[in-house]
Amino acid sequence: MIRDVSFGQFIPGKSLIHRLDPRFKMVLLIAHIVLIFCTFNFASLGIVTAATIGLILISGVPFKMYVKSLKVVLIIVIITSLLNIFYGSGDPIFQLGFIKITLEGIFRAVFVSVRIILLILISSALTFTTSPTDLTDAIERLMSPLKVLHIKVHEIAMMMTIALRFVPTLLEETDKIMSAQKARGADMESGGLFKKVKALTPVLIPLFVSAFRRAYELAVAMECRCYRGGDGRTRMKTLRAMPLDYFAVLIECILLAGIIVCNVFLTSVI
Amino acid sequence: MSFISAENVKFSYDEENKNVLNDVSLTIEKGEFVALLGHNGCGKSTMAKLLNGMLTPDEGVVVVDSIDTKNEEMTYEIRSKVGLVLQNPDNQLVASIIEEDVAFGPENLGIEPSEIRRRVDESLKAVGMYEYRRHAPHKLSGGQKQRVAIAGILAMEPSCVVFDEPTAMLDPNGREEVMRAINALKEKGITIVLITHYMNEAVLADRVVVMDGGKVLLQGTPREVFSEVPTLKRHCLDVPQATELAYRLIGAGVRFTDMPLNVEECVSFLEEVLG
Repeated sequence: MIRDVSFGQFIPGKSLIHRLDPRFKMVLLIAHIVLIFCTFNFASLGIVTAATIGLILISGVPFKMYVKSLKVVLIIVIITSLLNIFYGSGDPIFQLGFIKITLEGIFRAVFVSVRIILLILISSALTFTTSPTDLTDAIERLMSPLKVLHIKVHEIAMMMTIALRFVPTLLEETDKIMSAQKARGADMESGGLFKKVKALTPVLIPLFVSAFRRAYELAVAMECRCYRGGDGRTRMKTLRAMPLDYFAVLIECILLAGIIVCNVFLTSVI
Repeated sequence: MSFISAENVKFSYDEENKNVLNDVSLTIEKGEFVALLGHNGCGKSTMAKLLNGMLTPDEGVVVVDSIDTKNEEMTYEIRSKVGLVLQNPDNQLVASIIEEDVAFGPENLGIEPSEIRRRVDESLKAVGMYEYRRHAPHKLSGGQKQRVAIAGILAMEPSCVVFDEPTAMLDPNGREEVMRAINALKEKGITIVLITHYMNEAVLADRVVVMDGGKVLLQGTPREVFSEVPTLKRHCLDVPQATELAYRLIGAGVRFTDMPLNVEECVSFLEEVLG
């Protein structure tokens, strides 16, 4: 029921993308998103689209997983592209009362929807191919320069690790509490939205109480295992950049160069 | 000198409440397997937390391997010498991958990555969970999770492990798995303190300590302790079923050579009686 959430799911595999260093993957993701939003003509949009599709093919994750993640944003894509169609400037190619559609408006709509789709695809590729622990690890290491600014990087990463660890446990517990309350005659299905939200109170209160108790016990267990924050702590897994990681950077640079060339030599259509 | 010694320990959680522990003295030798019994609220869990320095006594002293637990500089030293496994396996696991969870303890101790790797593999093998090292904890059974929690403590290479009702939330299969893991630790020469409600687990120990009302009521070998059936009953404590049967038969006039502790012993004693 609530357990089949596909967003942000990790799908184990052995593809080239799976084997990339998570730190490189995160930085490259950000770079790629910037590239996606630097496309102003069809040639550059084509290059980025081809690169993104190539990447999701290499990732070895079933294509239907990507389609599933796109379903979530379908509404957003439709709404933003509709808005863009009607707000283009220039000569109208179609006019009905105050509604006018221009060529630029259509181009805008296409660019915006393709960009959003690429954005979702590339971000899903990251979460599909990187385990949550690798992700938090990468975040901790990438953010570690911020320690200079007295930002508690280790604590933030630790919180993320624990949150990720307890998501399935708490979901399971929610299921159990819901069944228990239903067995006592709680009605959670009927009524409007307001009534349904109100019906969740007897689920949320026990869930909160239990979450706090778990937190306390976990804290005791962590202290028993000599936890004392990030100082003096070592890690079992040390991340090391491999030739593959530098190769990925090189490819991203080539893409960047291609897009710069397209933007300089071709006219922008939006 | 004993590995752990508690002398005249008094402890209360806050000043108004009466003492949870009232003048407890207890020694634990190196390599010993001690079972700690007592009904709810008798101070067993508090005792467990005193043994690894999570709590410190109000009066009296707890000394672990010649270190006073009140010595704040040595807190982590003590906690890595005396590991504590708690009741709920779910609330002891920190990471989403088994081997990373087991690595948590040694990582906190600042050990070299290659050495952590070795310890993690060794601990997981010791509890028979090595094949699951890449799994997520929420997909395991209760017994498996508890074994991972034990491996997590073992990876700190403690000399002693205190188990606070490790089998209370498990099904019979899980209980057996965990008891097997505990026995494996004993074989390795690790000192074990097992707090439990299950008498058939307690009979496996070298020594049984019975607590009641914040005091040590009885202690001795399992046979000595479980022979005191009336005393135990008076303090609302169980005895193993076989012992209970023998006790009632003795009451009815049957003459037993000794108190049986498990079914096999009971059968052989009965055979003797029946000729």
